[in-house]
Amino acid sequence: MADQSGSAPTLGAASVGSAGLVRQVLRSLPWVVAALFVLAALLAPVLAAYDPIDAVGGPMQPLFSQGHLLGTDGFGRDQASRILYGLRPMLIVSLGAVALALVLGGAYGLISGVHGGRVDWAMMRGVDILMSFPLILAAILVLAALGASLLNLTLAVAMSQLPIFARLARALAKGEAARDYVMAARAAGFTQAHIMLREVAPNLLRPLLVQATSVVALAALTAAALSYLGLGVRPPTPDLGYMVREGQELIFIAPEQTVLPGILIAVFALAVSFCGDQLADRETGGAGL
Amino acid sequence: MTGEILRRLAFLPVTLFVVATLVFLALRALPGSTVDMLASHFATTGLREQLIAQLGLDRSLWEQYLIYMGELIRFDLGRSFITGKDVTVMVWETLPVTIELAVASLLVMLVTGLGMGLAAAARPGSVLDGVLRFVAMTLFALPWFWFGILLILVFSLWLGWLPAFGRLPPTVNYEPITNLILIDSVLQGRPDLIGPWLTHLILPSLTVGLTTAGVLMRLARSGIIETSKLDFVRTARMKGVPGRRIYLRHILRNAALGILTVIGLQFGAMLGGSVIAEVVFGYPGIGRMMVDAVLTRDYAVAQGAALVLAVLYVLVNLATDLAYRWADPRLRRDHGP
Repeated sequence: MADQSGSAPTLGAASVGSAGLVRQVLRSLPWVVAALFVLAALLAPVLAAYDPIDAVGGPMQPLFSQGHLLGTDGFGRDQASRILYGLRPMLIVSLGAVALALVLGGAYGLISGVHGGRVDWAMMRGVDILMSFPLILAAILVLAALGASLLNLTLAVAMSQLPIFARLARALAKGEAARDYVMAARAAGFTQAHIMLREVAPNLLRPLLVQATSVVALAALTAAALSYLGLGVRPPTPDLGYMVREGQELIFIAPEQTVLPGILIAVFALAVSFCGDQLADRETGGAGL
Repeated sequence: MTGEILRRLAFLPVTLFVVATLVFLALRALPGSTVDMLASHFATTGLREQLIAQLGLDRSLWEQYLIYMGELIRFDLGRSFITGKDVTVMVWETLPVTIELAVASLLVMLVTGLGMGLAAAARPGSVLDGVLRFVAMTLFALPWFWFGILLILVFSLWLGWLPAFGRLPPTVNYEPITNLILIDSVLQGRPDLIGPWLTHLILPSLTVGLTTAGVLMRLARSGIIETSKLDFVRTARMKGVPGRRIYLRHILRNAALGILTVIGLQFGAMLGGSVIAEVVFGYPGIGRMMVDAVLTRDYAVAQGAALVLAVLYVLVNLATDLAYRWADPRLRRDHGP
């Protein structure tokens, strides 16, 4: 990583502050979009015209057909309703998994970085072992072991993100531990726990939260990918990732069935990424991630 | 430095041992057992018992574990429960395919990611910078599998330029030696293999390479911008060092450290991404083999594939870490106890 100590707030932020109304609207757009996704998922039972699991019309009706705005799938299920309900697993898994990974990984990295020495070495080899699997393979193994379900998908995605937070927190904590204020605290006789929690941790919180915002998108994408592979929520429960999979088989006759759910995954991931980016910008004064 | 390398290398067998154990545990703790899966294929009870005994599934977990480890030391990954094929052979057939895809994806990622990052960092805050950042964000936010399907839709179905499925057309007769087509085409004197191979490789490697390029672009950009704000750069400017020299010798050299780490970490994303791309494009690599094995609970195959991918990844991680230490003089001496 680049030296984080060089990222003190600078005048770079002015380039953002001088924005006009259009720019303000553009900046709030990702937050609005993300909020809309959450709202739509929460209100799915109200918004959806049909039950997402029952066959409610003839199969393979095209877009904009009578009573079925987005048509029906191969089983005659209403696509619009399925998409609305399909938002739910994506949101639950991505937000839940990131929260879990932030807390556990952050604590782990903090302990490792502040302790240093042999403890640090041993703890990081533990992370190495966890990281011996590419993220998505680790998640696949967890799902293979636990079985496919919403909770297990959340755990698998959280576990695949744990090393990101552990390594970042450790790197940051190690940098902080070498600084004068920590040395001063040590000299003043504060306990290790006090130094970790009261001195170092507050300085890690912001970068970790910024990291968290930017990995919500990754979590959503990982969850969707696992669902695509058939390792997520079990059908017939609607899920955007699996809808892309089902739609792929109909790509010759109705490409919209695979394109539309995918667009929604992409738009959500993009909106959340922009939110994360804005936070990172505020953090580093324009030069952020 | 040498001590650290030796320490890391000495730790390698430990990592591999733990990885092997985790893979074993993950897959033997499966809820739906292979036996039931097999039983649905071969319904007679007698045959079922025979299979259980043959596969060693009637032994205790400990015995199974010891047998598994013993076989592993002899590089024996067992046999597929479903096809009876030797897993080592299956790995040998599929791993080179994935390596080809990962390397091609890495090239796509490096060219687009670094290119965009350098261009954007040249004038931070400019229109070009804004556009490139937006592109990078979009690339990152694309679901890999869906992007692959879009590429199939556009380049295969609508334009008809590129094949949508597989690694080579079924009409091509190919007898693998190394199973790396570029090398085999030289060894066998078969330049005709390269064309079809490349056309099949383009869409999967674009899928993986472009979706991972966004992260590299952002980190390259921020690394360069952050570095150019540091004191030593200002000092160099004040000393009257020419701008180009500052950029190459001072800024890029320091920013390269961060970029190097990202590339190493991204290789993992690359292996993960190739799993997805292999499934989307029906590309016969080890990732697809693993996913199929997990779905059919063929755990000898899933175990073998996971283990091989993990070993590959551990080695790449180690190499990145050592390269990073070598490249950063401040880390050449370990600040340990």
